[in-house]
Amino acid sequence: MLKNYIKIAWRNLYKNKAFSLIHILGLTIGITVCMMIFVYIMNEFSVDKFHAKGKRMYRVMRTFDELKEGVPYLSGPYATALLNDFPGDIKQAVRVQPNQGLISFGDKAFVEKKLYNADADFFSLFSFKLLKGNASSVLKDPSSIVLTETTAKKYFGSIDNAMGKVVTLDKQKQLKVTGIAQDVPANSHLNFDVVVPLSNYFNEDYFKVWINNGLFTYVLLDEHSDKAQLEKKFPQFMDKYMGKDMARFGAKFGLKLTALNDIYFEPASAFDNVKHGDKTVVYIFISIAVLIMLIACINFTNLSTIRAVERSKEVGLRKVLGALKNHLVLQFIGESMLLTIISCILSVVILIAAMPWYRELLGYNVSASWNSAPIYLFLAGVIVVIGFLAGSYPAFFLSAFSPIQALKGKLRLGKSGAFFRQSLVVVQFSISVLLIIGTIVIMKQMSFVKGKELGYDKEQAVIVQLDNNDIYNQMSVFKKELESNANIASVSLMSGEPGGFHDMHTFEAEGQHDKFKSRTEFADFQFVKTLGVKIVAGRDFSPQFTTDSTDAVLINQTAAKKLGFTPEQAIGKQIKNTIRDDKPRRVIGVVKDYNFLSLKENMDALIISPAMDRRVAVIKIKAGNIKNSLAVIKQVYSQVAPVYPFEYSFLDQKFDTTYKTDIRQQTMLAIFSGLAIFIACLGLFGLASFTAVKRTKEIGVRKVLGSSVPNILLLLSKDLLKPVAVATVIAIPLGYYFMHTWLQNFAYKTPLHWSIFLFAALITFGIALATVSFKSLNAALANPVKSLRSE
Amino acid sequence: MIKITNLEKFYRTEEVETIALNKLSMEVNTGEFVAIMGPSGCGKSTLLNILGMLDDPDNGSYVFNGVEIAHFNERKRADLRKHNIGFVFQSFNLIDELTVFENVELPLIYTGVSSADRVKRVEEVLDKMQIMHRRNHYPQQLSGGQQQRVAIARAVVNKPKLILADEPTGNLDSSNGNDVMELLTDLNEQGTTIIMVTHSEHDARYSHRIIRLLDGQTVMENIMV
Repeated sequence: MLKNYIKIAWRNLYKNKAFSLIHILGLTIGITVCMMIFVYIMNEFSVDKFHAKGKRMYRVMRTFDELKEGVPYLSGPYATALLNDFPGDIKQAVRVQPNQGLISFGDKAFVEKKLYNADADFFSLFSFKLLKGNASSVLKDPSSIVLTETTAKKYFGSIDNAMGKVVTLDKQKQLKVTGIAQDVPANSHLNFDVVVPLSNYFNEDYFKVWINNGLFTYVLLDEHSDKAQLEKKFPQFMDKYMGKDMARFGAKFGLKLTALNDIYFEPASAFDNVKHGDKTVVYIFISIAVLIMLIACINFTNLSTIRAVERSKEVGLRKVLGALKNHLVLQFIGESMLLTIISCILSVVILIAAMPWYRELLGYNVSASWNSAPIYLFLAGVIVVIGFLAGSYPAFFLSAFSPIQALKGKLRLGKSGAFFRQSLVVVQFSISVLLIIGTIVIMKQMSFVKGKELGYDKEQAVIVQLDNNDIYNQMSVFKKELESNANIASVSLMSGEPGGFHDMHTFEAEGQHDKFKSRTEFADFQFVKTLGVKIVAGRDFSPQFTTDSTDAVLINQTAAKKLGFTPEQAIGKQIKNTIRDDKPRRVIGVVKDYNFLSLKENMDALIISPAMDRRVAVIKIKAGNIKNSLAVIKQVYSQVAPVYPFEYSFLDQKFDTTYKTDIRQQTMLAIFSGLAIFIACLGLFGLASFTAVKRTKEIGVRKVLGSSVPNILLLLSKDLLKPVAVATVIAIPLGYYFMHTWLQNFAYKTPLHWSIFLFAALITFGIALATVSFKSLNAALANPVKSLRSE
Repeated sequence: MIKITNLEKFYRTEEVETIALNKLSMEVNTGEFVAIMGPSGCGKSTLLNILGMLDDPDNGSYVFNGVEIAHFNERKRADLRKHNIGFVFQSFNLIDELTVFENVELPLIYTGVSSADRVKRVEEVLDKMQIMHRRNHYPQQLSGGQQQRVAIARAVVNKPKLILADEPTGNLDSSNGNDVMELLTDLNEQGTTIIMVTHSEHDARYSHRIIRLLDGQTVMENIMV
């Protein structure tokens, strides 16, 4: 019997090729999109899961008054003190210091941006696999170094060749390659190319100072230890070691633990530079997958029903010949599963083919794990659930008919059936309109943000990081040389470019009872000029005033406002950085607010001080020949830091980097909503064909009675487009609600103008109309004699 | 074999009630060949559907082989039907997607005959109907006469006691029509009871007895000699 069913199913597919194509194509696209999203989500949730001791591992976070979520950077002494004070709870503590360095050997030199200084236990706490070397001893000797496979091959051609070789770090330390680690998988929040023993720095002064920060500290808790209980003991611990510092800086520091598996989904910030995922994006993607699958399922059901009606004779006959209801139900569900299986196979093929493109779109290296169970479970689930769900409506619908009616081919899809099918179309198009609205709003928001007046001049500004000893030590030479060149307009050395690093510090301000928290910028006197920031009150830093570097600060409008002053009132007020300065500085000027943070964040108070902390050089070049100017900068750079490769970026590119994820989301959403409406239209096309066939006689009679082609076109299209219209009406308020919520992520929002919704409705209608007219026109143009004879 | 008494069947639409069978009573004995005639709308097809257990009466009694079945549910009727009754239709009603062999095989599948037995029995009956050479063709590749042979083959493959034929020659030319009537006569002579609905006086003459219906009632019975 099964053979018979499969045979019939297959022959039916083959007979109505166009229809089968629509049927299978819609489902295949749906399954492919779902699999892509499934692969992505599996990758997101697999981050850091490969660490064998992961369930007991935590990253220690330092909280700081308002920064309740904490920052992961601690200083050197914490790990030792934690091990010492909580021997029953903390079994292992490993510090990881993200760094960069120059690795040289022979005549070769490489700048490594992903260099970790780590405790000797690094490879025994984390399960990063070593291809060479022993996890417990590989970092024991301070003069050892571990390379990843790719790095080893880059240096020495092969991993065997690399073992035992001696390299020089930052032109000072001789290190011997003692181990080769497998390349860090994409699903790890930590990411390194080189690991150097942290013990090299134990004797450095900065390493011993509690208040410093710069290291991640990971701890392994005892099996019987409880995180919450342990955290309760931390305030006492902090008082013991940090009490004096806290009193001095007027800040309250605390500690808390973040489970290793939760680190990835913590919000990314300038204070936490490890790889982070975004749960919102994950949820958006899951919703899209569900919605697209829903559209595909509805299509499948509608098309199956239509198809089944065309087979009413077969159904009737089978009943006459003794088939029971369950035989027929099984047959139709089976057929639907067969179609689903075909779609699944096609989807797998498409997925494999589209993987490189998909990786590029996502921006990281996802891989479908074909050798693990979840993906097969997923596919099996798809076959059972969709095959069953989409197959069961036509199955039960058809098998309930009386054999006589079925045999006469007089199966009428009743009123309630029509209502049901139209409701399904409404759902499909509501989703499509919703996705289109989402896409338009996201695109508008991106262009709004791009076009926003940022309050500083981002054009023709080159950023060079002061990230190695040579450039750092010679930064004033670098700056002077550049300033003397005719191609360069100005140069400013600062702690963070707009969109970059702006640490939060505590201040004592005149007229303020409480300590005042503000973002900080440490910059030289050319800061205002180079970035084109406007002064709204007072004056800029000036070398004419010899005390400016020690006594003056600039603040932004928001800072003035938070302190309760107008810009004019703020001038001359005393303000003291409790962490950096011994004595107060005077506010000499107020700058107009400029977007030094991402546009997702609200404007914050900023205090610009000439105190020393230089991390980047922003070089404003003169309009004209960018190439020449870059050549000049490169030449000066190579004079002061000869071994290091010259790397630069443009300030206006910084924007694209900051919004990379949003731009990706926008692209993906656009693609997915395009696919969604395509699938929905496939279904509409199927329905249109069905309607045209079903109403052939009516059209014939109408034409004989004198109806014109446009009249008939209108008649057919009107009915088909009604659900699309209802869908639009439903989707618009929903779209407004969802997008309004999404925009709350941004501090600066594009208005949700009514034209967006009108546009979305027009797109949907246009596409739906085009789909429907194609079939309706065919029907309307047919010769009425032919259509009447067919009855 | 068949005894119906005071059989009634109504068709209702929202506003009109049509009486299809009006207290109809009749008997058909085992081995008989009965023709049912009458104008369009007289209730012939309704009667055939009820006799074939595809439809149930609203009132009255239907005794098949000594068993009252008027109150049987669908499952029981289907079971009784597939073992006892074969159908031949005016428009053949073959499944287009199945070959000749597969069409004839279908009733055997639903009665649970083993695969080997099915092949044997289908080949036997195709041979008898002289369409063995067409076994791998699809219905649309056959002439009308050949299609009706396949339909008859399908009707008899289960060795039913009763064959219900609904205008079996209606879509055929006279020569093919005669062939079909000869086939039915042969089957009847081998012991199969046949009830045939027809418009054709010519075809009706093959039967033993003609029952004439008008407005859902028997108006006349002719015994053929």
